[in-house]
Amino acid sequence: MSSRNKLMKHFQLVGQLQPALHAPQHAPYPDTIDHAHYRAYLRSSHDVGGEPDVPITWEEKEEEQWEHNTFVTCECLAWRGVWNAEERRRRQNVDLGQTIYLGLPYYGRWLLTAARILVDKQYITLTELNNKIDEVRKRYE
Amino acid sequence: MAKKPTEGEHGHRPPAPMVDEVSDFEVLEMAVRELAIEKGLFSAEDHRRWTEYMDTLGPLPAARLVAKAWLDPAYKKLAVTDGVKASLQVGIDWVNSMPTNFGTPSDYCNLRVLEDTPKLKHVVVCTLCSCYPRPILGQSPEWYRTPNYRRRLVRWPRQVLAEFGLQLPPDVDVRVEDSNQKSRFIVLPMRPAGTEGWTEDQLAEIVTRDCLIGVAVPKPGVTANAKRPVHPAVHPVHHDH
Amino acid sequence: MSKSHHDRTHHVKKATGKGDPQCFKGEAGPPKFKVGDHVRIKDLPDLFYTRCQVYTRGAPCTVAALVYESPAAEDEAWDNTDKPEWFYSLIFRQKDLWPDYPEAYANDTVETELSERWLEKA
Repeated sequence: MSSRNKLMKHFQLVGQLQPALHAPQHAPYPDTIDHAHYRAYLRSSHDVGGEPDVPITWEEKEEEQWEHNTFVTCECLAWRGVWNAEERRRRQNVDLGQTIYLGLPYYGRWLLTAARILVDKQYITLTELNNKIDEVRKRYE
Repeated sequence: MAKKPTEGEHGHRPPAPMVDEVSDFEVLEMAVRELAIEKGLFSAEDHRRWTEYMDTLGPLPAARLVAKAWLDPAYKKLAVTDGVKASLQVGIDWVNSMPTNFGTPSDYCNLRVLEDTPKLKHVVVCTLCSCYPRPILGQSPEWYRTPNYRRRLVRWPRQVLAEFGLQLPPDVDVRVEDSNQKSRFIVLPMRPAGTEGWTEDQLAEIVTRDCLIGVAVPKPGVTANAKRPVHPAVHPVHHDH
Repeated sequence: MSKSHHDRTHHVKKATGKGDPQCFKGEAGPPKFKVGDHVRIKDLPDLFYTRCQVYTRGAPCTVAALVYESPAAEDEAWDNTDKPEWFYSLIFRQKDLWPDYPEAYANDTVETELSERWLEKA
């Protein structure tokens, strides 16, 4: 059991771990990863409650058509048993990793995850997906 | 739903847009939807029905639930003890209103109604994602989904509420509801002074989405969320189905 | 191509006409805790996925309600639904979560839901 004091330090460390595009040192030596850093790296990226942040302007946002379609696609996949909501949340809020979690739009993560589940559960091959992406893109050329 | 852009079913795509007008997300969205339909994982009809279902959603049923609870103590008791049953009286069946007959996959079927008192103010967040009671409240606002709101509300609630224009006196306790599992939440705020003798319709009008999340409180004469900047969509969703 | 061996029907069979979490009612056995109990959140290993927020770990809280029975999120996230648990609504004092929380607002609270595995008697 970590002390509450250690957990408070954990919140400071995860703030410093937020992805930096210019990170100079990758794949460090094993002996440089202590318990605190192991925990901070392995923190589920969705668990942001209590992380320090600064005030922002609260805004509304119009929904893109693709965002709406993506939400409906994800619900239809669950309706027809391809995944359940917890599986979707695990994949889109944790499995994608912190760089994508913080770097892409909200529904961008939903969408990538919907693509990924089809491949992971072998409903389609990755080749089929890439061919389809190519085909759709060409419609607009 | 899987249509070429030139035959857009609902007319919401401009014919043959320039290549740089189609985002990577739009391309991938079409690819995934079309493949899922081609493989028989769900049908185009399923997708259409779910889209139509989404178009029926908004905060009105939740506002009506609050108004009814203000007028009828027995209904209020039902609302705070069994939100799912109370929802039936405002037209929302958490199990059967949607195309499935087992609720919406992402919202589950366990609405809880959080009753404010003169000494206790509730406000809702989902620190882990953005769980939200869509069947009775519609789609969540973008700010509710931001990591910023989710990071700060649970630890600095009074500061965040003040940013939303809600200054709470020290003798009112704040309870942050961190919606993290299968329950979904709406706030039942205090009925404001100056609404004596009002009808259910009049009362429901001042119960805005923001009041139901808990970042605002109802006020006579205020029937809309606070004005905020709106980030426009490039290809906005059309609710004209 | 149809290599997938995933059972796409088990949830719809179980939940149709009932809803989720209602469809797991009666499957968790007797609950270990009751309303009013003072408990503490265990700091269990949480590799890969959890819905037990780190800010709750080791903190004391009070059981406000037994809300439903359901597979724990950590299991259901891989579609394992065999072992439902009781879920509890828990109330934490902000002062017990954040040492820097202002003394002037000592009665401010956070409420959240966790499954039984995360709870121990305080």
